[in-house]
Amino acid sequence: MRIYNLAGLLEQYGDQFLILEFNHLFVASSIREEVWLLQRKNDSALIDRIIQEAAAYNLLEVDADRDFETYSGGQKAILGCLLTLELIRARGIKGLKLLLSNILNSISDDNRVKLMRFFAKIHSSHHIRLFTQKGSELQELFSDNDSTEK
Amino acid sequence: MIVPKNSYMLQDRNLNFDVVDDFNFNSDNTCYYLRGGNGFGKTSFIEKIVIPALKAANRQYLYIGQDIRTQLYTLRALLSMQGHKISDTNEYELLKIWVRQGQTARTFILDEFDKYFPDYNFIFDWSRSFIQNYIIVTHQSFEPAHAGAEGLKATHVRFELIGFDGQVKNVRVRKE
Repeated sequence: MRIYNLAGLLEQYGDQFLILEFNHLFVASSIREEVWLLQRKNDSALIDRIIQEAAAYNLLEVDADRDFETYSGGQKAILGCLLTLELIRARGIKGLKLLLSNILNSISDDNRVKLMRFFAKIHSSHHIRLFTQKGSELQELFSDNDSTEK
Repeated sequence: MIVPKNSYMLQDRNLNFDVVDDFNFNSDNTCYYLRGGNGFGKTSFIEKIVIPALKAANRQYLYIGQDIRTQLYTLRALLSMQGHKISDTNEYELLKIWVRQGQTARTFILDEFDKYFPDYNFIFDWSRSFIQNYIIVTHQSFEPAHAGAEGLKATHVRFELIGFDGQVKNVRVRKE
């Protein structure tokens, strides 16, 4: 029985999905650095939107240059999602399949509701398909057919 | 009494806990479920207040933290150094060996372990014979029905944000 199988996750889904995994959310060490890497510029408008959005989740101490390691696990999960969703919006990315691994169960009930509303908004405007793990299967969220993929 | 009601300031975490109930983490046959918003200090409360209090009371504990990846690497190294042949041992077995080695522990702390295993009855199966109380950080809305936790009294602990002065978060910690 595996408790944590990152290699298996990547092998199974890495070629089809953008995966947000709880223990590997960021490449860089702060929001500013992460945005630099992803946008190849200091996109201060994007950074500001992430910080403003984070405040709605009671992440009141978020700062563009604060080290990710100083946030709690749930705060990092929220920031990883906000960064991804704002980037999708900024770049006008459409049709992406996004897999959340150990993300939603790291987030408190009220914040999960807010985050799912944000995902729903991006789902309709950018045709993003959102999946999460349910046992060994994937469950699609916001799907009309509530489909699962193995 | 391990954590009496009081105000606890954690300067390095910019957190101030207003603990409004006494918490006796020495009490037997109890399962404490800690819940609250993200960044309200549940893990800091465990690491900076509960664990030092357990140490001060000379009470042995087992702790599975949020970062399971690092912990499993550490466990593999630790058990190897202790002479266990673990090269082909999976993580489930690793944990089992580690838990069974910890028979002098009386408190078991699990920080969001349910995100890896929503149904973690096996933890109770392995430890119930010697562990007297469990402290569980979870975002599950209600008390998980662990078959292994039968006979344990559930105490629910809520972390609530009551103020933010631009730097320090004031968090109330209370029993529900």
